[in-house]
Amino acid sequence: MNKIYLWGIIITAAMLGFTYMSFDFKHGLSDIVNQLAVAGAIALVLITVFVVIKYVRQMQVDTATGELADENWDGIGEYKNELPMGWSIMFLGTMVWGMWYFTIGYPVNAYSQIGEYNEDSKILNDKFEAEHKSISGERLVEMGESVFLAECKVCHGISADGINGMAANLNVRIEAKSVKYAIENGANNHLLGTEMPMPDRNGLFNNNTGALITDAEIDAVASYVANGMTGAGADVFAGTCAACHGEDGKGMEFVAPSIATFTPELVVNVLNHGKKAAIGEMPKFDRLNAKQKEAVGAYITSLSK
Amino acid sequence: MFHWLEKHPFFFAVGVFLAIAFAGLVEILPNFAQASRPVIGTAPYSTLELAGRQVYIKNSCNACHSQLIRPFKSETDRYGHYSLSGEYAYDRPFLWGSKRTGPDLMRVGNYRTTDWHENHMKDPTGVVPGSIMPAYNWMFTNNADINTAYAEQLTVAQFFSVPYNKPVPMKDGSTKIVKMGASVAEANADALAEAKVIAADMKDQNIKDAIARGEIPEIVAIIAYLNSLK
Repeated sequence: MNKIYLWGIIITAAMLGFTYMSFDFKHGLSDIVNQLAVAGAIALVLITVFVVIKYVRQMQVDTATGELADENWDGIGEYKNELPMGWSIMFLGTMVWGMWYFTIGYPVNAYSQIGEYNEDSKILNDKFEAEHKSISGERLVEMGESVFLAECKVCHGISADGINGMAANLNVRIEAKSVKYAIENGANNHLLGTEMPMPDRNGLFNNNTGALITDAEIDAVASYVANGMTGAGADVFAGTCAACHGEDGKGMEFVAPSIATFTPELVVNVLNHGKKAAIGEMPKFDRLNAKQKEAVGAYITSLSK
Repeated sequence: MFHWLEKHPFFFAVGVFLAIAFAGLVEILPNFAQASRPVIGTAPYSTLELAGRQVYIKNSCNACHSQLIRPFKSETDRYGHYSLSGEYAYDRPFLWGSKRTGPDLMRVGNYRTTDWHENHMKDPTGVVPGSIMPAYNWMFTNNADINTAYAEQLTVAQFFSVPYNKPVPMKDGSTKIVKMGASVAEANADALAEAKVIAADMKDQNIKDAIARGEIPEIVAIIAYLNSLK
């Protein structure tokens, strides 16, 4: 028997022995991973030995045959061999694939971070639409509260009390100093969603007296409005403000906003346009989507009831 | 023609490098040049804003606050549109930051206002319960360094062609001209005029008094800078 086979058997036995020794028998062969590992180790050993023996034998016994090409480089020649069919097919296939990848494959399927963002956003927006499109009532108020706690509480406070006057107290429709400010300076806060300015005190007549509104009347009407349309100052309100804001202060469409209660539309308009008045400036929050704005409107309207 | 190269490995290596580098040049450079150009709506910083930016850097705001909104839905919902490289065209250095102990400030000017910043810098937990940001009381007493900001303006205008005193296109189709004073005195006067507008929205009487005296406290400068981040 050729020496090479003997070596093959010896090396196979040694490597299998080594595999055996390095195997952890504590857990046995019950585990599928252990089984696969052992099977893989045995296969590796056998294939390695088989391939090595094959080529060593070939070097020992093979003789060159075939037709030599004409070229000869310092005694080294080359046989005229046909291209193997499999190799040729793969070569041509690679060229075809290369053309496809160059013109269609990469340009159409290329990864882009922004593309992934757009896809993700679309999925999430659609999901939001599907889940929240038709919610209303109590659920809408709950949604408004969660948006409020994410976006609005930083200025208006968790309980929407305006944190000691740093922002508007949303538990009441309007405070006396805001009423005063609006009367003295006029207002154009897009609360109706349109350009509809309220004149300042030089344009506000008290129809009861026929004269411009006075300081005392401003104080009276401010406390009347801030107290939820009760108490002294009703006559000034009726004479000066009611023409636009209505007898009950609930506003008129296209003319003046409600100053008796919050309405969802009013809140949405503030979110869209921001506001700057007595307390300070509120930036616009138009990046909220329409449903979120509606929900915040519902939540804030529910606070002052 | 290039046969001689085969006998000169060094020049052959240089040739190979040039061939590969050329591909890089045509593929990377045009895109890079396009992306680093200021996007429409990005304007240079005014003198006061630059002074505020220096206050921001001096107090290491960027150690806790990033200025880079990544393109994830969770981030764009919270902070606004994701950042574009061209929006940093006038940031030297950019203040991307590497860590968010506090929130991102890339577009803080869109959703916070002067009076909020004033309250917040004086007493962060007063407006954000549980905040771990310290109060920055010294910003209300220290004065901003307008001269250095003007020097920075002059430098970037000269060496990087930052378009001061030139129309810059804005998103709504209009143009905006950011002024750079012709002299130190003029720059100081411009900064003071800008500071007056901001101080008018602030509540602190000491700040109003300082502005009336012609001083610009750091808080006014940094609020101008934060309001400009949009």
